[in-house]
Order: sequence, then C-alpha cells, then structure tokens
Amino acid sequence: MSKELNIWLDNLLEDIESVQFKRKSSRRVRIDVASEALPALLELLQGHASYVHLSAISCVDWIDNDEFELVYHVWSYETRSLVSAHTRIPRDPGVYLSIYDLYQPAAFFERDIHEMFGVYFEGSPDMEKFILTEWDGPPPMRKEFDSEAFVNQTFSWEQYRPQWLKEIEEEGGGITSRPEDARR
Amino acid sequence: MSTIDKFPVRQETAAVEAGGKRSNPLAHVFDELVNFCRSRSMFMLHYCTGCGAIELPPAMTSRFDMERLGIQPMVSPRQADILLITGYVSIKTLKRVILTYEQMPAPKYVIGICSCTVNGGMYWQSYATAKVLREYMPVDVYIAGCMPRPEAVISGLRKLMGDIKSGRADSWKKYFQNYDYYLGNQQKLFGENWQTPTDIVAEARHYELITDQTRGEHTALLEKHQRPLEALEMRLTSKEKQTT
Repeated sequence: MSKELNIWLDNLLEDIESVQFKRKSSRRVRIDVASEALPALLELLQGHASYVHLSAISCVDWIDNDEFELVYHVWSYETRSLVSAHTRIPRDPGVYLSIYDLYQPAAFFERDIHEMFGVYFEGSPDMEKFILTEWDGPPPMRKEFDSEAFVNQTFSWEQYRPQWLKEIEEEGGGITSRPEDARR
Repeated sequence: MSTIDKFPVRQETAAVEAGGKRSNPLAHVFDELVNFCRSRSMFMLHYCTGCGAIELPPAMTSRFDMERLGIQPMVSPRQADILLITGYVSIKTLKRVILTYEQMPAPKYVIGICSCTVNGGMYWQSYATAKVLREYMPVDVYIAGCMPRPEAVISGLRKLMGDIKSGRADSWKKYFQNYDYYLGNQQKLFGENWQTPTDIVAEARHYELITDQTRGEHTALLEKHQRPLEALEMRLTSKEKQTT
C-alpha cells in the first residue's frame, strides 16, 4: 500500500504542469509550486496521501529577487517520506495565507516567521510576539537588517590589551589567534 | 560587613592605616579568620545560560570534586555566595541575571565562564546577546575558553578562593560604590523604565558604601519612575471564601 501511494503521487504530480516535481531519494521529495496552488497541494497531500504531520515551515529571504521563499515540510507515517513544498511570495507586502485550518501546529511556525521575517499570515490565530518579547526593532532575520552594524552601535567592546590579560599572559596564557585574523 | 566594622579591633587597624603605631599584633587576625572561613565554604549559584554549564557536572561530581574545596551548588540566590554565569547572556536573560545578582546577600562574587561573557565570544555579531558582562555587574574572575575544561574551572575557583582569603575579591562593593555606572549601562540596553525590585541605593547606605559614584544622573532617572516595592499579600484562605 505505502509503495503504491508513493508511485501514485509521483505520477500525479509529474502530470501537473505548474508543479515542479523532483524526487531526491526514496524518502524525500521536493515540490516547487506557485503560491496560489500551495494550500490546495497541501490539502491533497494531507487528505489523500497520508501526509498528516507538518514538521516545520521555514522561510528564506531572497532579497535580490525581492521574494520570500516559504518551505512547508510535511511527513507521512505511512509512506515514511518527507515532502518539502517550496513556494515564493513577493517581499512586499509579504502577506500570505495561513494553513492553520489544515495543520494546527502551523500557528506556532507562522508566529515565529512573522516575528523573525515580518511575513503576515492571514487567518493565523495569533500573530503576537513570541520569543522576542522585549525586542522592538525590525524583524531581525530579514536580510536588510544589518546585525553587525546594530551590534556595533548598541554594544561596546572589551579592550584587547587590558591589564588582566597581561597578567594572564605572564602566567603563560592569552589569546592565540585574534578575531581580526579569523575574520579575514 | 557593617557588624564587623563595629568590633574594637577594627578601630585599631584604622589607626595603623592612618599612620599610627601598631599596638596590637593580632589586629588583623579576626578579619583574616573570617576571610579564611569564607573562602572555604562557598555556595555556588550556577545560572546556566549557555553551553559552559556542561562542564560543571564533571567539575562538581567525583571526577574533579568541587566539594573538596568547600564549594557546593545552591538552589536559591538568597543563600548563595558565588554567581556563575556559564556562557552567553541574551538581553532577556541579562535582566534575570541582574535580578538574581541583586537578590544575593553581600559579600557576593561573580564568575564569568566562557569567552561569551568576556566579549560576546562566537555570538559577537548577534543582535540578541549582551557582549561585556563586566559592564552590567562587577565580575571577580573570568574563566576564558570555549569552553574551559573542568581543570580550568577549578583553577578559576581556586583563584577566587585565594582572592577572598587575601581580601582582594571585593567587587561586590564596586556595585554599590559605582551603581550609577552599572545602572546607566543597564538603562542603555533595557530602556529608561528599567527597574529592579531591589533598592540598591538603600542597600549601599546599609553597607556604608555610598560614594560620589553611587548616585548620579541615571539613578535620578530611576527615582523619577521608581515604584516602591509592595509586600505580597498573604492569606490562608482563598479570596472567594473570604467574601462569602
């Protein structure tokens, strides 16, 4: 049964024109799909192909293409394989549909992505702050947020030749490789 | 410390420091005895923030056996002497670390383990981690490394013991003496409305450690919005039962 299901799914997805289908191994499938078709695809996978477990939703910021890539990883206990459904949405306004009605754990991932990338999911039950409750800057995982500049502006640094380090060096310790050298 | 100050031997040492002739050769004995006892019985509160905490179980248990030095883990800050910060502190965690530190009774000592507490370590680029722990609370001993081995942890603790015995480990006094500086750094990171339940200025007055640096523009800003700490209401029955 489980093998037949996989073959049946492969045949079906290869026949749909707008879906780019790539079987990477016996247990991994990559599907590239337009953002309008993704909820329908997930409904098909969950309802008819036993992909009932949403492992994760991840987000990639492709700033040069002005797009966010959302990746939905769904797992089937029956066929024991993972489908990664990739879709791209425009970066501005960065709004997409929630799949909370299909997979309830999605609320958790969508809230996280909203916090880290600023993508708004319509229909998600809670878009409040999640982990960064005490952060009021821009979403920090977006590519235009320059973490290094923020750090240099906010924090000050320890001197590299303080007195206590000289004392340690006298005892035979100290810095062996400097950060400037490592960053080169 | 204020009780020790009231002992008559202390007054004689003050006379020696002022240039007088030392009359009593046993003048320092009591202080030295207190310092010795203090260095040999330390309760350690390990605030396991980062990865460095993984080196503490071997340092504590039979392999390296911290307890032979008189160091034991302790569960509450009210009974602890040493605060171990074992790794990176995120800005959110730093608030809790400061609350914990301020709850500990003096004399208290802080040990920063791992490179992250020194200068951010491998998280130097991260927007969420505080970089230099020394700016927010005085640190007695840094144990650098990523991560330091249990031998290094033990060696750092032994260094702290030596410092306590010789009376050099007095960084907890710096927190009271330079409170304005530390509070300024905290306010810079947490915003102007930052307030802890502990009244540090009153505590500094209690320990007689008030200097020019204790109060300043930052404590003035704190006093502007500071709410006095309210005692928790205690009752034996639930509120619904009382009303009916």
